[in-house]
Amino acid sequence: MGGRNAQVVDVRAGEGAAVADGPLPGTVFRRRLRPATVARELWASRELVRALAERDLRARYKQAVLGFAWAVLTPLALCAIFTLVFHRAVRIDTGTAPYALFAYVGLIVWQFFSNTMNQGALSLANNLSLLNKVYCPREVFPLATMLVAAVDMLIGVGVLGVMFLAFWTAPAATAAWVLPLLAVQFAFTYGVALVLSVAVVYLRDVRHLLPIITQMGVFATPVAYPLAKIPHRLQELYVALNPLGAVIEGYRRALLYGDAPDARLTLVAAASSVVFLVGGYLIFKKLETGIADVA
Amino acid sequence: MSRELPDGTIRTEHVWKRFRADQQRMLLRDRVEAAGRRLRGRRGEDWRWALRDVNLHIGPGESVGLIGSNGSGKSTLLKMLTRVMYPYAGGIDVRGRIGALIEIRAGIHPDLTGRENIYLFGALLGLRRREVAGRFDDIVEFARLGGAIDRQVKFYSSGMQMRLGFAVAAYLEPHVLLVDEVLAVGDAVFQQRCLDRMREVLDQGTTLVFVSHDLPAVESVCTRGVWLEQGTVRVDAGIREAMAGYRDSIEAQSEAGARAGEPLQLLKYEIRGADRENLLTDEPMTVDLHLGGDYRGDATLHLGVSEGTASPVFQISHEVRLTGEDRTVTCTIPRLPLPRGRYTLWTGVYGIGRTDGGTLMSWHSAGQFDVFGPVLDTPPRAVVLAAPVFVPHHWED
Repeated sequence: MGGRNAQVVDVRAGEGAAVADGPLPGTVFRRRLRPATVARELWASRELVRALAERDLRARYKQAVLGFAWAVLTPLALCAIFTLVFHRAVRIDTGTAPYALFAYVGLIVWQFFSNTMNQGALSLANNLSLLNKVYCPREVFPLATMLVAAVDMLIGVGVLGVMFLAFWTAPAATAAWVLPLLAVQFAFTYGVALVLSVAVVYLRDVRHLLPIITQMGVFATPVAYPLAKIPHRLQELYVALNPLGAVIEGYRRALLYGDAPDARLTLVAAASSVVFLVGGYLIFKKLETGIADVA
Repeated sequence: MSRELPDGTIRTEHVWKRFRADQQRMLLRDRVEAAGRRLRGRRGEDWRWALRDVNLHIGPGESVGLIGSNGSGKSTLLKMLTRVMYPYAGGIDVRGRIGALIEIRAGIHPDLTGRENIYLFGALLGLRRREVAGRFDDIVEFARLGGAIDRQVKFYSSGMQMRLGFAVAAYLEPHVLLVDEVLAVGDAVFQQRCLDRMREVLDQGTTLVFVSHDLPAVESVCTRGVWLEQGTVRVDAGIREAMAGYRDSIEAQSEAGARAGEPLQLLKYEIRGADRENLLTDEPMTVDLHLGGDYRGDATLHLGVSEGTASPVFQISHEVRLTGEDRTVTCTIPRLPLPRGRYTLWTGVYGIGRTDGGTLMSWHSAGQFDVFGPVLDTPPRAVVLAAPVFVPHHWED
C-alpha cells in the first residue's frame, strides 16, 4: 500500500513540454519610446531629481567640517595657482580684465563640467542595487548630479560677485548673454554625463579614464588662457568638439569685456551641444534596458 | 496587445529572456579581446534561457503566487513586471501604478536621518512629497521606528534599516503589488505585519503577485498559483493544485537520497480507513508500520503528518521495545482531523538512553496519502488557507 502516491493530483502539467527552442522570429522585444511619454515621465520625476540631489548635498556636507565652503575653496585655490603660473610666469594677456576674474569665470564652467562628469559617470554604477529593484527613468541619476554641480556653481557665482567687488569693477551690460550660453553649457555637460554613466555600467574600467579626462581637459579647454590662443582657422572645429571653449569665451566677453559672444562660434557650439545631448540621450536610452542584466 | 485593459491587469505574451552563460567581466579590455576573437571568426556568445515562452494573464484583483525552485525564473519575471528588466522577446503589459514591495536597504543613505530617507524612498517609488507626508505617521508606525526617526540611519540596527525601506513601499497604493521574498527578512512580528498589509491591499482590489519560498505564506494570501520550472510555466491553476504539484516534485527529488546503513529500516507501511480503503475526514485512520533491523532495546517511534514538505500538521510518538526481529507497530487515530487533501506521512525511530544521539531511523517522509471528505469552508476573502485542520462543530442560531 506504499504505492498510494501513484494517485496523481490533477494539475495542468505538461504545458511546458511543448515549449519551442527559441522565440518566434519577429517577436523580439523592442521598447518603443515616444518623446511625449518620455517627457511626461521625466517631468513626473522632478521630485525624485530634487530628492536625489538633496541626498547628495546633505550627505556630502553632513560629514565635511567645512561644509559648503569646499564648493568655494576648490575653484579659489585653482584660481590662485593659475594666477601664479599663467599670469605671473607665462604672462597671459587678458586685456582690460583682471587675470583672476578672467580665470575664475573659466574655472566656474570647468568645475561644473568636471563635477558633473566625474560624479555623473558613477551615478548609475553607485546605485546599481537600487536600479535592480526600483523602476524610475534612469536619466534622473546623472541629472541629479548635474543639479548638485549647479548648486556648487551658484555658490561659485556668489564668490564671483565678491571678486567683482574686490576688483571694483562691475559685470558689463551685456551680461544677459549669459543665459543662452548657460543652456549650451548644460546641454553639452548632460550629454557627456549620460554617455559616461552607462559606459561605466557596461565597462567598469572606463572610470579610470575620468581623472585623465579631467586633468587634460582643464588645459585643453581655454580656462587659463583665452580662446584666441587657438589658431583662428581651427576655432570652429575646436568649439564643435569642445563647446565649453565657446561658452567660456562667450561668458568672458559678456561679463568682462562688454561684447556680445561671437555669433558664429556660439552657433557652432550650440549645434554641437545639441548633438551631444540628443546623441547621448539616445545612446543612454538604448543601453539603459540592459542595465539590470549586467548589474 | 489590446488597448483598453483595466488598471491592475497584467499580461505577458510569449515572453523570453536570456542571460549570458559565459563568464563575462565588465571591462573594456575584455570587450576589445572579444571583438578581436569575433573578427577572427571564433566563438560566438553563449546564452542561457531564463524564461521561455511565458504567457500569463492576470486580471485586476487576482492574487497570484509565483512558486518554483531557485533559478526557475521567478525573480526575473517579477523584475520584468517591475520594468527594471526587459524581455528578449515577447510583450509585457502591466496596467496602472505598479508597486514593488521589496527590501531597499541599498538605497538607504547612512548619513541621512530616518525622516530624510523616508522622503527619498517615497520619491524613488514615485510618491509625491505631499503623499509621503500624508502617510508619514503610518509609515513610522509600520516600521516601528518611534523616536529614532530623526537619528542618522547608520545608527539604526539592521532590522530597523530593513523595516524602514519596507514600510515606505508598503504604503504605496498601487494597482499592482509585486512582492519578492520579503519574508526572508525581519522577525516574526514584522512578517506577520507584512502579510496583514498584503491582505489589506488585496481587500482594496489590488492585483498581487507574490514570490516566496515560504509556501504556507503564499498559500495563505494567494488564490492562484503559477509554478515555474526552468523558465517555463509548469502549472497555472488554483493555488492548492499548483502547490501540490510543486510539493510532489520536491518530494520526488528529496526521496531520491535514501537512507542506507541505519540500524532500522521501514520495510513497508499501510494506511487504512475504518473498514474501507478510503480515508475520510473525522473517521478513524490506522497506520501499520513494518520495521526491520537487528536492534535490541527501548526506542521511541515518532509519527507525523504534514501537508507540505516540512511543516507538520500533527505529530505523535510511542515507546517500543525492539527485540532484534522484524516488528509491526500499529497506530490508530479514532477521528482524523484532516480535511480533504493530499498529505505526507513522516516517521523516525530514536533509541532511549543512548549516548550517541540514538538515531535508529532518521526522520523522513515515508510517502503520501489522500484524505477524502469535506473541503475547508470558504475562508474570508484574502485568506485562502487559515488552518489545515478539520474541527468537528455545529452551529446554532
